[in-house]
Amino acid sequence: MRVVLGEDEALMRHGLVLLLERAGFSVVGMAANEEELVGETEHHRPDLVVTDIRMPPDHRDEGLRAAARVKARWPEIGVVVLSHHAQRGVAVDLLRDHATGIGYLLKQRVADVDQFLADLRSVAHGRTVIDPDVVSLLMTGAPRAATEGLTDRQERVLGLMARGYSNAAIARELSLSEKSVVHHVSHIYDILGLELTPDAHRRVQAVVRHLSADRWPGPLATSHRIDADRHG
Amino acid sequence: MTRATTTDSDPLFGRDPSPSIQAREALDLCHTARMAGGVLGTRASAPGLDAALAFIAFLFAGLGLVEMVLTTEPSRASAWLLILTPLLAWIYCAAGLLAWRRRPSNRLGLLLVIGAAAWLGAGLTGAHEPALVAAGLVLATSPLAVVVHLVHAFPSGELRGASRPIVAFGYVVALGMQVPLYLYADAPAPYDVLAVADRPGLVTLATWVQGTSGALVMVATTVVLVRRLRDVEPRRRRVLAPLLGYGVVAVLMVPFASHVLGPLLHLDDNGIDVTQMVALAGIPVAFVLVLLRGGFGRTGEVQELGAWLSSGPGARPALAQALAETLGDPTLELWFWVPGRERYVDGAGGVVGPLPSGGHRGLVEVELGGDRIGAIVYDATLLADPETVRGAGRVVALALERERLTAELLGTREVLRHTLTRVVESADQERRRIARDLHDGLQSRLVLLGVEAYEIETDPTASPSLSQAARRLRKGLDDGAGELRRLVHGVLPAALIERGLYAATEEFVAQLPIRTSVSFPSGGARLPAAIESAAYFVVTEALTNTLKHAYADEARVHMELRGGRLRIAVTDNGVGGASPETAGGLDGLADRVAALGGRVDVDSPPGGGTTLLMEVPCVSS
Repeated sequence: MRVVLGEDEALMRHGLVLLLERAGFSVVGMAANEEELVGETEHHRPDLVVTDIRMPPDHRDEGLRAAARVKARWPEIGVVVLSHHAQRGVAVDLLRDHATGIGYLLKQRVADVDQFLADLRSVAHGRTVIDPDVVSLLMTGAPRAATEGLTDRQERVLGLMARGYSNAAIARELSLSEKSVVHHVSHIYDILGLELTPDAHRRVQAVVRHLSADRWPGPLATSHRIDADRHG
Repeated sequence: MTRATTTDSDPLFGRDPSPSIQAREALDLCHTARMAGGVLGTRASAPGLDAALAFIAFLFAGLGLVEMVLTTEPSRASAWLLILTPLLAWIYCAAGLLAWRRRPSNRLGLLLVIGAAAWLGAGLTGAHEPALVAAGLVLATSPLAVVVHLVHAFPSGELRGASRPIVAFGYVVALGMQVPLYLYADAPAPYDVLAVADRPGLVTLATWVQGTSGALVMVATTVVLVRRLRDVEPRRRRVLAPLLGYGVVAVLMVPFASHVLGPLLHLDDNGIDVTQMVALAGIPVAFVLVLLRGGFGRTGEVQELGAWLSSGPGARPALAQALAETLGDPTLELWFWVPGRERYVDGAGGVVGPLPSGGHRGLVEVELGGDRIGAIVYDATLLADPETVRGAGRVVALALERERLTAELLGTREVLRHTLTRVVESADQERRRIARDLHDGLQSRLVLLGVEAYEIETDPTASPSLSQAARRLRKGLDDGAGELRRLVHGVLPAALIERGLYAATEEFVAQLPIRTSVSFPSGGARLPAAIESAAYFVVTEALTNTLKHAYADEARVHMELRGGRLRIAVTDNGVGGASPETAGGLDGLADRVAALGGRVDVDSPPGGGTTLLMEVPCVSS
């Protein structure tokens, strides 16, 4: 599996390259900023792009912008965004704009090597992987219409769905029978009004997109307008 | 009239008025200084002035009564007319004392009292005692000279420029040219009491010379006054012109009434006398009224400065304005001395001076503790005596020093603000650098150490115990990395660094357990880093306070960029009544905002929710 790596920080880059090469990945290109990353991707057309969010020159969201550009031009390339911190908004943006082959993971997860490599492969195969911390970010906060009516167990199932777990994996994780997981999932779909699809990555995407929608009546843009009017 | 003349013509009071006025002014200053805070001297006796003036009043009342008795003789046809002269003296005296009391540092009051004395003296011509008649003859026309003096000295009480010789000449005409008239008088007893020879020709000549000289004085007076009025601002000219015109006409009335008006209106001698008397009696009344209420003379005395100084700073007009009102010069300016630059600056910090030579602006330096601290610049045509200005300067020296420091401070405030802004900006940069270093260095190292622990853990040659230890190590490193992540988030949230204020605020709000709506400027351009940080921490602190104390179930964050300012409102529907204790964390944040030139206000009426408003100058980058 061919990978282009976007990471400006030498220590981390070295560690990642070592890790990936040892696991049988082939790091075909490395980039330390947005332009380089897009350029290397264009040149190598890898299976996967792994990138940090912050890169020179401003150390802001250069990696995010590069990821968006890559996904827009080559939707078939999997993109994993690595970050030291989980941000709800980043997940929302990534999932809103790109249907498949997207991942958003904390850098901390790298040390959980097996899981990390599995997540990379999932994304390279077109699935969606969202860090558990990000999922919990999406599910905390004020109670919202979307998750009202869910039991605690159903919420946990939903969280694992959002992380891309299969029904079997959820069953293992929660020590349930796969049959009762299927039961929970269809209940969740009923309550959330989501269309049941067999496709694992589609269902993650649907769930996450649903959860990340603005929590207050009407979309975000509407609240902008109301407030703008009220405040003159 | 020179100061010496004043002294000569002041035998009635038995003291030199000029030093006494200066002494009184000094006392007034002490009085004001005491009111201003008791730093400059001891209490003066304002009652002392009242006692002196009362004494003068009684003296003139008595002298007038005595004169009435002395001059009244029922057999004389015009006897009642003679009563009018002491009456005139009383009017002059009363007006003079009033002016003196209300404007102690203005010599017009004294001048009117001298006029009263002149009238009493002139009235002695009607007495029976030859000696008194002689005094009366000597002083017969002196009141006219005093009136001329009055017209020239109004309203400052001082004579300046051409007025001095003209007034002096007026006294020569009234007193000196009178001499041949009584020395060579061809008059019936007792008016010949001073006659040394009977020289009718000489008397005629002297009369002509006196009349002509008197006319010259009046012409010169008119010219000087007209010229002076030309330079005066219109508002004051409208009051001054008729008043001074009246003074001139009243003097001219004396010859005019007997030679022109009398024949014209078929007035008898009594009628002429009454006309003259009424015209001359109106003078002190009119002059004092205008002096006290004319709106252009001194509207207050130096005491008022003291009252001003002891009033609260909020109620105070600017120092220069208070001085201008007190001294009656609307053009008065205050300059502040800048020791380092050896020059004056005005209240706004602009460099001023030096004065062009030969102008009509006067400058009096103000000193405090021997050091020059500023100057009062005034219209020398209005305030003839620099001593008055200097006196006022002594009173306001402390206040002027304060204003000088304020002016200096204004100059340095901008510099200070820029410095503060830079301090806050560099502190923010430092935060960002620390956050980045922790990420790139420590956080990455922990993650990679975790990877190494994983290698050991999964190494097929490792013993089970080693493998287990490595697993624990990996878990520990993972926990450490999580803790570090939270720590760095506290220093500066990643969302703020990576995606800016609006995204970071949304991120924070999304985790709140209460409904919170947000609205941001469209476009979402990034703002200067220090402003983003300060605004973020203010908003999150406000929302944290809402959660902790407000019992609110809804909150709102509104941000807008307008007119180069970022305005933020954080509102909740909670219990309100936020106290400084509950909002404690905001103090330091408000300081940061202030250092960036902005401000933070909290409005939290009990039961009315809490609204935090923040405003800061801001240009989006």
